[in-house]
Amino acid sequence: MLRKHENTDSWKAGGLAIAVHVLLLGAMLVSFNWKAAHPVLNVTEVELWDKLPAAKPVLQPQPKPEPKPVIEEKPEPKPEPKPIVEEKPEPEQPKVDIALENKKKKLEQQAKIELEKNKKAELAKKIAQQIREEDLQNNKAAEKQAKLDREKALNKLQQDLLNENSGADTKTASAANASIIGEYTEKIKAKIRGNVNKTLCGDGNPELRFDIGLLPTGELSGPPKLVKSSGSAACDDAVERAITASQPLPLPTDPAIYAKFRSLNLRFKPNE
Amino acid sequence: MNAENDMSLLSLISGASLPVQLVMLILLMTSLFSWWYIFIKVATIKRAETESEDFENKFWSGGDLNKLYESVTAGRRKPQGMASIFEAGFKEFIRHKQQGRMEVSDVMEGSRRAMRAAYNRELDDLDAHLPFLASVGSVSPYIGLFGTVWGIMNSFRGLSSVAQATLSQVAPGIAEALIATAIGLFAAIPAVIAYNRFASSVDRLSVRYESFMEEFTNILQRKS
Repeated sequence: MLRKHENTDSWKAGGLAIAVHVLLLGAMLVSFNWKAAHPVLNVTEVELWDKLPAAKPVLQPQPKPEPKPVIEEKPEPKPEPKPIVEEKPEPEQPKVDIALENKKKKLEQQAKIELEKNKKAELAKKIAQQIREEDLQNNKAAEKQAKLDREKALNKLQQDLLNENSGADTKTASAANASIIGEYTEKIKAKIRGNVNKTLCGDGNPELRFDIGLLPTGELSGPPKLVKSSGSAACDDAVERAITASQPLPLPTDPAIYAKFRSLNLRFKPNE
Repeated sequence: MNAENDMSLLSLISGASLPVQLVMLILLMTSLFSWWYIFIKVATIKRAETESEDFENKFWSGGDLNKLYESVTAGRRKPQGMASIFEAGFKEFIRHKQQGRMEVSDVMEGSRRAMRAAYNRELDDLDAHLPFLASVGSVSPYIGLFGTVWGIMNSFRGLSSVAQATLSQVAPGIAEALIATAIGLFAAIPAVIAYNRFASSVDRLSVRYESFMEEFTNILQRKS
């Protein structure tokens, strides 16, 4: 393999060759970040509910109704001690008393509410137990009728429990939601309107209706579907192009309100 | 093939399939050998250049050719490069002269043949290992490519058994496979560069030897 006169260099050359390889390997190990960086994925969990959530409104509104009566009742006791101006040390006591009374009242009210709830819950439980027992016995038609009645009663009780707590809040919330939804639909329309080539839609005031699906990012989940045409195909196309061009569309950050935008029926007047 | 695999060099090499590992081993060996030969050749060619430079200086300094011949053959080491050509030619010339009654053209022809033979031996030494470097330079990328293709084939075959194909399932396999190409290129590039450089140096040296032969023949002809 080697010539005679090359023997003198062979060791030196071999050492240098190995040194070159070690050097390159070292450079590779140092310069490359061999550890693969795996960014943390944004995992969104989805829970599928068969019915509308009943448990949530029960939990949230509970603390709210209780503090309200405190504010309402305070102004009443105050005017009473004021007429007695002459006795200075005394007015403090009634205040304390009143405060105490108020607290007692509150506590009583709370206790009453809880008692009622407990009673209702107990009733519900009892009825449920009875139903189970009866299920086990499972005998006659008359009993079935009775069971149906009791089930109805149970349902009513449960609904009463729900309504007591959730009724008022959901109304205000839905009103607020409606305003936010209106605001964002206007924003979406404004953004689309900026992209429409209005010369294609003529001088009149045509109305189009599009069904569009939106992703949480504001992008379209599919091509927009024309529900109601403006009458001219060019105008329809122009608006469709404008919708796709104005991605991402503005969307509310609240996921609960976003649900309304998942499939949006958009009424659109390009010349408005 | 997990996404949690760390992509360190060692795990990439150890995770590769056997043929790919074999290819990597072959390429590593060829790379080591080619670098070894490169360093050997650098040293030998450099030495041949300096020796011929020294000898030309000595030769053209105008000294006695007999003395020069004695100093060349006196060393224990066999003369190399230009000195060996000079030695072969002058030895043949002296022998013919000692025999006497020889035609000048025959003497010149004999010493020329001797010099030509020495020149061929020298050139053979200079050219040694260059074919190896040439073939490493041209073949090792293909060997690396073979390893890569094999590795990619494997990783895609693994992909076919998965219902949902993601990039993270193929990526480690391809990275593993590509290392083979990287090693092949690493072996080939220096080999090609070295081959071209050495070939041109050997050419220049051979031209130098040949012109020395011509000039020395002229001098011998004048002497005879």
